Amino acid sequence: MKTEDKYLRMSANERVQHFLLLSSFIVLVITGFALKFPESFWVKGIAAVIGQNTFEARGIVHRIASVVLVMVSLYHVYYLFFTVRGKQLFKDFLPNRQDVTDFMNSMKYLIGKSDTKPLFGRFSYIEKMEYWAVVWGTFIMGITGVILWFENFFLKYVTNTGMDISSAIHYYEAILASLAIVVWHFYFIFLNPDVYPMNKAWLKGYLTREQMEHEHPLELETSEKQNTDNIKENLSEKAKDETETKNIAVSETDPDINKQ
Amino acid sequence: MIPLRRNIVVIFAISFLISLILIIADRNILSSSKDTETCLSCHEDKDLTMEKNGKKISLFVSPEHYKSSVHAGAECVDCHLNYNPDEIPHSKKNELAGCNSCHDNLKGIEKSVHNKVNCYECHSKHDVKPVRLIRENQTQSCLNCHKNKNIRKFSTSIHAKKNVGCDDCHKGGHQTAKISKNEVNEVCGKCHNKNKMAFKNSIHHTVMQGGNKNAPVCTDCHGSHDILTSKVSIESEGCLNCHLNEKLFPGEEKGSAKFVAQYKTSIHGLLRKGDSEAAGCVDCHGDHMVQTPDNPASATAKARLLETCGKCHKETVEKFKKSKHGTEYLKNSDKAPSCVTCHGEHDIKSTLLSDEFSKVNIVEKCLKCHEDGKIPHKNYQGEEELISGYRNSVHYEALKKGNLDAPTCSECHGAHEMENADNPESKISKKNVAQTCGQSNCHQDQKRDYLESVHQKGISEDNKDAPTCNSCHGNHSIVTKKSDDKLAKSKNLIKLCSNCHSSVELVERNDLPTKVSETYNESFHGLATRGGYAEVANCESCHGNHSIKPSSDTSSTINKKNLPKTCGKCHEGAAEVLFTSKIHVSDTQKDSPWVFVVTRLYMILIFGIIGFMVLHNVLDWKKKKKIKKVNED
Repeated sequence: MKTEDKYLRMSANERVQHFLLLSSFIVLVITGFALKFPESFWVKGIAAVIGQNTFEARGIVHRIASVVLVMVSLYHVYYLFFTVRGKQLFKDFLPNRQDVTDFMNSMKYLIGKSDTKPLFGRFSYIEKMEYWAVVWGTFIMGITGVILWFENFFLKYVTNTGMDISSAIHYYEAILASLAIVVWHFYFIFLNPDVYPMNKAWLKGYLTREQMEHEHPLELETSEKQNTDNIKENLSEKAKDETETKNIAVSETDPDINKQ
Repeated sequence: MIPLRRNIVVIFAISFLISLILIIADRNILSSSKDTETCLSCHEDKDLTMEKNGKKISLFVSPEHYKSSVHAGAECVDCHLNYNPDEIPHSKKNELAGCNSCHDNLKGIEKSVHNKVNCYECHSKHDVKPVRLIRENQTQSCLNCHKNKNIRKFSTSIHAKKNVGCDDCHKGGHQTAKISKNEVNEVCGKCHNKNKMAFKNSIHHTVMQGGNKNAPVCTDCHGSHDILTSKVSIESEGCLNCHLNEKLFPGEEKGSAKFVAQYKTSIHGLLRKGDSEAAGCVDCHGDHMVQTPDNPASATAKARLLETCGKCHKETVEKFKKSKHGTEYLKNSDKAPSCVTCHGEHDIKSTLLSDEFSKVNIVEKCLKCHEDGKIPHKNYQGEEELISGYRNSVHYEALKKGNLDAPTCSECHGAHEMENADNPESKISKKNVAQTCGQSNCHQDQKRDYLESVHQKGISEDNKDAPTCNSCHGNHSIVTKKSDDKLAKSKNLIKLCSNCHSSVELVERNDLPTKVSETYNESFHGLATRGGYAEVANCESCHGNHSIKPSSDTSSTINKKNLPKTCGKCHEGAAEVLFTSKIHVSDTQKDSPWVFVVTRLYMILIFGIIGFMVLHNVLDWKKKKKIKKVNED
């Protein structure tokens, strides 16, 4: 059945959060490295388009993007602790003993010492690493970024040494985060042969059954054990997404769910 | 018979004796007393006169004068021929005896200008003096007749004062002669031999020999009878009489009357020194041996100009001799300038008052030779504006706008004393540049600041690497901070300081702080500047400019004590900051260990984590590809 092929991965709210995160992140990467490598071809290209105020614009845009990122992050914290779905999400993202076992087995499987591929739940160790890396990075970048932004205020508390440290951390963390996103996240979303050319979940919100079997067999198992209402709910949510993307609360009480 | 014969002899003897006595008496006493005495008996009357042609003529003859004259032994009638005492006047025809009836050996008189002149005009009539006396009073006797205005001035002439008489030039006596133009030189040369010889070497003499009738001889310049001492008499008027005559000296070339006429408006001609010009023709051209400048012996020949001008401008010439111009000149270099190259010849103008030496015009004067490439310059590579770049400088711009305080070439290089920068005496040698730029009315404040700076310290220690004013501001094409493009200015400044401060060799040689531009470029300040932001600190913002000092100096802007103030100019919060580590962190491990630790940690994280990720994903990708292939098969 076609409708049964769709498994909700990211709710509309989550996709909006993800979209704000990714867009502000990309803007931050571009405007950040533009400061550090002012003579590189792409910075010159941008400067050629924007003109003589490029540098100031860069700074302003970087700060706007950082505000967006921080706001999204704060909302995300709220989301994790004050919404039903968020609470579940947080629970599912917490690392546990099983992740270590999974990782060990996965490595054995990848290097060919084992033929069985470990089975993952809703979030594999790969995704958990990704998530917590983003949390860590946002936290570090946020703190050091604020220090550097309000240097006049912070100078007297952290001294110039503190400024130098903040600046060093901000720079290296930026490299680490960008590389992690490119190498880790982009691989699994784009290059990964299972999803190539792209896992569209961040746009459409759902995974196919095939993807579920490959990536999250345990989750599939649990969900199949659950009553069909759950599936229906997922489906109805998907249907709602196509018409209205913003209000999850509304979709949850959508009368269509009962009909189906 | 014997007594008779004896008586006869006696009688003869007595009668002979008597007749002899009578003869003598008649001749000496009787006749004389009869003739001259008779004449004088009337003519000793002082009031004796006669009328002739309506004029009253005195007929008085002083017996004393007559008797004391050389003609005392002669009778009146010896000279006054055909007179009849019974008639009055005694002679119808006033006829005198020709003096040459007695004086028949007067050599040369027939050639003399006085040939037709009566002897008594010189020798006088009755009181004829001995020649010795006449000679003594020759000049006076000449002047008795020669009452020509010019000749009468003789009595006030230098010759008169020095007892040089008419006869000394005109021979005198019976040979008295006129002196022709050709003879003048010889005649004067009898006494003035040195000048005669000099004149013979002059251009005047040369053209005279060539037949030029206008060529001057001694008297044309000195005058003849009214001659004075040379100092008073030889005014330029004498020369200009001829040399301003356009018929004699046509055209507009050198040597023409028009060329010489420029002298009249020159500072030499206009300024007065007593009665005469500050410098007259002879002061430069010499006097008797005057020559054209192309003659190497001429006082106005290039090789002798310093000597000539130095007669008056001694100190200036001494300065010039020591200058680069002067040393080249003394080597007889063709390109070397002499006094006239800059100051002109007859048209020499005041350097203070004339427009020709206005500051703006001096530039053109100097550039006439020093336009880039014309004269070899060690710093000139061929294309750039080295010296003519002055025309683009703020100095020249200010000058053209009428700021007379703005310097032209000579303010920095000196005028006569100009020297290469290599010469320690030079105003533009490294040690002196600050003094030159900071001379009164110029950049005194900047000089004061600079003299306290570490750069100056290097200069005073003869450190060739140390910069002075022109090292940063440039030489001729000097520019200021007033550029509109703040960013370009900032970038240029950083580049300027980096020229030295990022030269490994120079930094090592002088034990300077290392990696200053590198660390600046990596700092936010440097990144912002590189990124095109104008409102950010560059070297000068923190270090200051002229008074730059090392951080160890307590008055330095970058001394730890002063950093809050320096940084506080932009970062208000910095005022209370404790600076706990270096600003230009060149060695992180030593200068900022925390940053070092953070950096190391991140290096490990980046290489470790990302390395793992790459490895993991490569394996994952291979595995999945393999499975896919198996499935497809």
